[in-house]
Amino acid sequence: MLKEKQLEASVESLTSRVSHVKSALHSFIYKLENEYERLTWPSVLDNFALLSGQLNTINKLLKNEKMPSFRNQVIIPLLLSPDRDDELAKLTEQRVSVFSHEIVPDYLRTKPDPEVEEQEKQLSTEAARIGPELAQKQIQALNKLCSNLLEKLNNPRDDRDTESAALRQNKQSFNPADTNALVSAVAFGKGLSKCRPPGPVAPGHPGQVTMNTGTTAQAAMGGGVVPQQQGQPGKIPSTIKTNIKSASASMHPYNR
Amino acid sequence: MEAPPVAVMPVTGGTINMMEYLLQGSVLDQALESLLHRLRGLCDNMEPETFTDHELVYLLKGQQGNPFILRARRSLSHPTSPWHLRYLGQPEVGDKSRHALVRNCVDVAASHSLPEFLNEMGFRMDHEFVANGHIFRKGAMKVVVSKLSRILVPGNTENTERLSLSCLVELSLLAPAGQDTASEEMRSFAEQLKPLVHLEKIDPSKQRH
Repeated sequence: MLKEKQLEASVESLTSRVSHVKSALHSFIYKLENEYERLTWPSVLDNFALLSGQLNTINKLLKNEKMPSFRNQVIIPLLLSPDRDDELAKLTEQRVSVFSHEIVPDYLRTKPDPEVEEQEKQLSTEAARIGPELAQKQIQALNKLCSNLLEKLNNPRDDRDTESAALRQNKQSFNPADTNALVSAVAFGKGLSKCRPPGPVAPGHPGQVTMNTGTTAQAAMGGGVVPQQQGQPGKIPSTIKTNIKSASASMHPYNR
Repeated sequence: MEAPPVAVMPVTGGTINMMEYLLQGSVLDQALESLLHRLRGLCDNMEPETFTDHELVYLLKGQQGNPFILRARRSLSHPTSPWHLRYLGQPEVGDKSRHALVRNCVDVAASHSLPEFLNEMGFRMDHEFVANGHIFRKGAMKVVVSKLSRILVPGNTENTERLSLSCLVELSLLAPAGQDTASEEMRSFAEQLKPLVHLEKIDPSKQRH
């Protein structure tokens, strides 16, 4: 008697959990179908998280010690009828409307689905076709693969560390020097073929002029291309500085 | 409607006092595909747009003071589209609270006789280059990923040479002066592109050596 009550209670709680999952799925599918234009990725992730949480609870519930073993319960169809059963249709949300001999074996089956059964049959004939020697060889190959994989999984840290180090060293996705080269090419044509003959006088760009008047020392210090300059910022008259600058510009690798 | 070269640069619809907010970076060619993939995911859902533009930079030198600089751009992929003339002001980079470089920006569409017109006015071409690549949009923001090539024979856009093995990545936004919230939005977008690309405000005047 006590056992029966326990069974009933656990079935009930399971049903309610499953109906939670169902309603969550329902609303998610509705959102995907009707609100996909406004749907943001974070809210999709939220929905997934909700589903995964609910499935986890069900799993925990099933693994609980107090849960009676459903596997040992037997369900027997007591009445089969070829007529339409409105009550059943209502219970199953119009999915099953007739409880007949045709569909009952499928719904109450404890064996795999017919398609799965078919596939299994194919596999077993395949297995029977292969000779024992070949099978042995394949088993050995599989074992080797598995042990290799296990080894890799057991000491993953070394591999991952070396990998990420390699990633950091070789797989740099950008190069700051290239950034600077590209930015200065766009800003004032550095490295691009000049149409005028390059002279010692600085090419007239707005940036250049402000630099000579305003931020001379800063510009001279900031570059570090000509190291001798760094020792004596602000001491050289600006004309000389301009010369140094255009000289260093012609030394630039892009200015071939 | 064909995308004019203007597509690369924002159009201001007649307002003069517009500022361009800009962040720049670069990506190596081997990482380009992953960047484009990420941008396709992050940016507005639109047809992928590519462009090939030819930019000519013109100077007008006065007796003294700063030369006046204008940038003319035309699309090589759509030769019938109008030219695009752009003035860029001095970049402001000093303000630490602002996360992007800010500069004055005036954009005008122009007819095909623009180079002759500029020549007649006394402008002289300083340098030219070819840029080709991809454009993405995210709201008002624009991301341009482009390969830059120098032109080996002046005027011949067929004969070019890649400038470097990286692509230039620019995140820009056009807004009326004083809208500094714009830079905040740009910064958070730039965060999402790390570590593939580091978009920064780069002071061009510090690069010229």
